[in-house]
Amino acid sequence: MIVRVIWEVVKFELARSLTFGRGMIWVLLVLFPIALVGILRGLDVPLEPVEPWGIMLYFLVPEVMCLLALLLWATPVISTEIEGQTWGYLALRPTGRLEVILGKYFTAVIWSLAATICSTTICIFLMGSAGGFRLWMVMVVLCILSSFAHASLYLLIGVVFHKRTIVTAVFYTGAVEYGLSFVPAVANKMTINYRLRGLLSNWMDWEEARSAAENVFGSEPSWMHLGVLVLMTSVLLVCTLARVRWSEFPTQQVG
Amino acid sequence: MIQLHHVTKLYGEVIGVNDLCLDMQPGAYGLVGPNGSGKTTLINLLTGQLRPTLGAVKVFGEPPSNNRKLLRRLGLCPATDVLYPNVSARQWVSYLVSLHGFSKQESEELAVQSLDHVGMLSRMDRPMGEYSLGMRQRAKIAQAIAHQPDLIILDEPYNGLDPVGRQQMSDLLKRWVGEGKSLLFASHVLHEIESITSSFLLIYGGRLLASGTSEELESFISEAPQQVTLVGEDVAELVADLTRQSWVESVQLGDNRTKLKVALRDPAAFYQALPAWINGKSIRVDQLQGSQSNLTAIFDALLRNHRGEV
Repeated sequence: MIVRVIWEVVKFELARSLTFGRGMIWVLLVLFPIALVGILRGLDVPLEPVEPWGIMLYFLVPEVMCLLALLLWATPVISTEIEGQTWGYLALRPTGRLEVILGKYFTAVIWSLAATICSTTICIFLMGSAGGFRLWMVMVVLCILSSFAHASLYLLIGVVFHKRTIVTAVFYTGAVEYGLSFVPAVANKMTINYRLRGLLSNWMDWEEARSAAENVFGSEPSWMHLGVLVLMTSVLLVCTLARVRWSEFPTQQVG
Repeated sequence: MIQLHHVTKLYGEVIGVNDLCLDMQPGAYGLVGPNGSGKTTLINLLTGQLRPTLGAVKVFGEPPSNNRKLLRRLGLCPATDVLYPNVSARQWVSYLVSLHGFSKQESEELAVQSLDHVGMLSRMDRPMGEYSLGMRQRAKIAQAIAHQPDLIILDEPYNGLDPVGRQQMSDLLKRWVGEGKSLLFASHVLHEIESITSSFLLIYGGRLLASGTSEELESFISEAPQQVTLVGEDVAELVADLTRQSWVESVQLGDNRTKLKVALRDPAAFYQALPAWINGKSIRVDQLQGSQSNLTAIFDALLRNHRGEV
């Protein structure tokens, strides 16, 4: 029953979010990396070595694009219901808290994946010989991991800080995922982007890039990066669900 | 059906409801109180959206907080509007019913059935962004009754309905009560509730001031001191006459001696004596405002009674 309810939530959320405004945001997100790769190709930037192209694509899609998409679709899941005063209608249903949040989580992941995979595919096509199936496959898997992990992170931020949600998420992203993840210290190992960069260098065998910037790409094996990502995603989701289950979110004005 | 045992809810230092004790049997009840009196807080406590700071809440014998089984038996029509502009009422109600665990087909059938009950069948496939306030109100009531709960709680359900809509809604709620199901109807307008039920709970300042039938409340109100306000240039000349009467509880002169507030134990005696005083002294009275129809005044009287001032 839980899976059925989550699927119903995903269908409802997808149907409700198919608006012109959201569609335009999606198109702009998809076009952003494509435009940059297109400009570089137009400037005849050499396709060899492949690493700079791959790192640029990784930075544009699984990092920046994924984060932007999920900032828009995962962070405000609770705040929009509270501001729209529709939370009360959901919270009074037996599955209105946990299953609805999970449904919204998967909806955000679907939106993000649809945009990032589409953009990655077109970019790889534009990159010609610098691209290829292996880079496409690695990028798609990184997009999937990034979407699930970052969506759980932003979901937690959204349910803890349901006021000024986006501002808090942007601040966290800047400070931790882009600031701390480049700091050569133990703390950067606790960021999602560090793990994704590590997987990129491992799966593409970019030893040169890794030895030049070990604090950026790490030196751990892939299974460890994957394990930490899965663990982080699970812990963040459990914290989110616990918070939603026990919180007294404002339902409406007091009368 | 509902038991409240010394329930208090605090929002920081602000009191939502204060030491409420109640034992309500299944049936239909009106929850009456001015805006900000604690009605919505009480509703949120009953539906488990809030947990009491002190005391215990039980609905159908169970605490409502995080109680999935109990939520299946409750339906709520909140006072707040629905803001899903590109979703139709059928999609919305069906979705909310499916969150009770019904299959897709069952959810669809129950949604259509409830939308038919509230007179929305012909318009249920239009996006809710195109609905009038009254149509959204009907859709809200449809989602409250669609899963066939045992108790529905309605918070200001007549908001936005025109007289015809109000009549149709009253008929629907009467049928609901007639089927033996329970209802809690919150409103700040007494007569809206009177058309549905004769049992009332009066709440003010987070406290339960009175409960009972409309006859009991009317009897209490008629015995309580009532306030009358006179406005005019010469109303101060009435003070001497008024203070001599045993049925006058207090007299208050304000607004540059042009406004006179009189608290009366026997309003009938006042209305009998007033014309003679006005004619005898040629006093000009521009306004005479009674308080019987003023809900706030009724609550003031109840509050004074609650404090033991009368």
